[in-house]
Amino acid sequence: MTDPQPASMYESAKKIYPREMGGRFADLSKLATVTLLGLFYIVPWLTWDDRQAILFDLPARKFYLIGLTLWPQDFPFLALFLIIAALSLFFFTALAGRLWCGFACPQTVWTEAFIWMEQLTEGTRSQRMKLDKAPWSWNKIRRKGSKQFLWVTFSLWTGFTFVGFFTPIRELGVEFVTFSVGGWTWFWAVFYGFATYGNAGYMREQVCIYMCPYARFQSAMFDKDTLIISYDEKRGDPRGRRKRSVDPKEAGLGDCIDCTLCVQVCPTDIDIRDGLQYECIACAACIDACDSVMDKMNYPRGLVRYTTEHAMQNEQTHVLRPRMMVYGALLMVLIGSLITTMAIRTPIILDVIRDRNSLYRELPGDMIENIYTIKLINQSNNAREFKLSVEGVEGIHLDGIGNTILVDGGSVLSVPVRARVHRDNAFGVMKIDFIAEALDESGHKRVEDSRFLGPTP
Amino acid sequence: MVGEEYRGTKQWSRNKQAVFTVLWISFLCAAVGTMVFFALFDPADIGGAFDEDLTLDRDAGYAAGFFFFWIFSLACSAITAFLVRTAPRRDAAHRDSPD
Ligand code: SF4
Ligand code: SF4
Repeated sequence: MTDPQPASMYESAKKIYPREMGGRFADLSKLATVTLLGLFYIVPWLTWDDRQAILFDLPARKFYLIGLTLWPQDFPFLALFLIIAALSLFFFTALAGRLWCGFACPQTVWTEAFIWMEQLTEGTRSQRMKLDKAPWSWNKIRRKGSKQFLWVTFSLWTGFTFVGFFTPIRELGVEFVTFSVGGWTWFWAVFYGFATYGNAGYMREQVCIYMCPYARFQSAMFDKDTLIISYDEKRGDPRGRRKRSVDPKEAGLGDCIDCTLCVQVCPTDIDIRDGLQYECIACAACIDACDSVMDKMNYPRGLVRYTTEHAMQNEQTHVLRPRMMVYGALLMVLIGSLITTMAIRTPIILDVIRDRNSLYRELPGDMIENIYTIKLINQSNNAREFKLSVEGVEGIHLDGIGNTILVDGGSVLSVPVRARVHRDNAFGVMKIDFIAEALDESGHKRVEDSRFLGPTP
Repeated sequence: MVGEEYRGTKQWSRNKQAVFTVLWISFLCAAVGTMVFFALFDPADIGGAFDEDLTLDRDAGYAAGFFFFWIFSLACSAITAFLVRTAPRRDAAHRDSPD
């Protein structure tokens, strides 16, 4: 029979508030936090080839990704990359549920860091509650003040790092130290810092519940084989309080001792025992909590655990199911095409802009002339020589540029050129091709079409 | 302030939900919009479209573009949220489940 005298864990339970539950998954999530935040704060400081390894240089409109330099003209790569990212999210959500939320979402990760600072300065939840109730005192000011100091400094540093992904961070650092930071830099650093401060310091999982679109969409990607966190009802029910010495079978009880610890640790305040709810951010705190109780009771762990709906119903879980294969195949095709197009990308870009102000010019000697502006972009890191030519109409040739043009590494050369055709060959609108050819053994070549206008007969 | 004494998440009022959701989602949309727009157009070229003498430096151009997108999508979602939430209730007697 159930014991009216609660076992010791019932009493201590009152003092436990979200997130103070240690355990396997809490450790894992700390590890994820440290790794991901570490990457965020360190990556902009890495250098490659004498420049910042990862830099989305907006002022110069160039993206540096380690050895690769992307230009606005490479936009299709970005689009493809974003599609791949979205599809991967579908893929992993169908496979592993909200693993993303529990361990990798910036919201989770920064919240974790902010909570850590809060605990450092204000102590455990119960100490914090006492502190809040207490009248203002020197101790309260000191604790609250140091929390705000840590939060604000950390937020500013975060904003600064964020800006450092878009403008060279080392120069930025020097500007910060010498107080010569420009207005926009300040603005974005404070803007991003403030967003971090608000979202991670105050809103926390309310962002997940009320503001996150992914949280509402994800249930559409779930199926019965998706990894979820779930309470094992068959094993746990009927719930009931009991002494450690009582054999639950004899007492007609399941393994759940109804201590509600899993509810108390839940940051979104739901009862996992009621089944899967969309508020659940899969933080796994309830698993840690329940495991600790099972350990104390000498019951096997895993009354609350990662599992699938199929497994809960004692059915086979299918990892390789049609949905996964479709997502997987699509992903593979997209990643494959991204890699191949990247690999065969010619590091030259040719833009031809026809002078809009004039149709054509008649020159002495029965020649017809059209004027163009050529933009030649050398995407490689070294200076290269190019030969520019034009074809498509008999006798067409260029005037006004030398045989070779030199373009520095990673820069744009803009030259006006004149194309000329003999009047006998120039009628109406004709399609022509400009060709830029690298004068080295690479054989890189770019062709860009344009129009040549002649007199209409 | 949220969170000092709290256990679990407070219920947000409907108005708070609307305000923060509209702000946040329009922010995310503006971020995507800005990214795509400026991948295709250089802010330094755009100034001239309004006024030949206007030269926009890129930093200012990006910021202006971002706020343009944000205000635009903010207005769009705010009006939508407003209309959805203030739609008149009709024929209340025949509604199958009062809420
Ligand atoms: S619910 Fe949204 S904001 Fe919260 S952790 Fe998941 S993805 Fe991040
Ligand atoms: S029910 Fe979900 S959100 Fe709550 S503690 Fe468990 S895993 Fe975390």
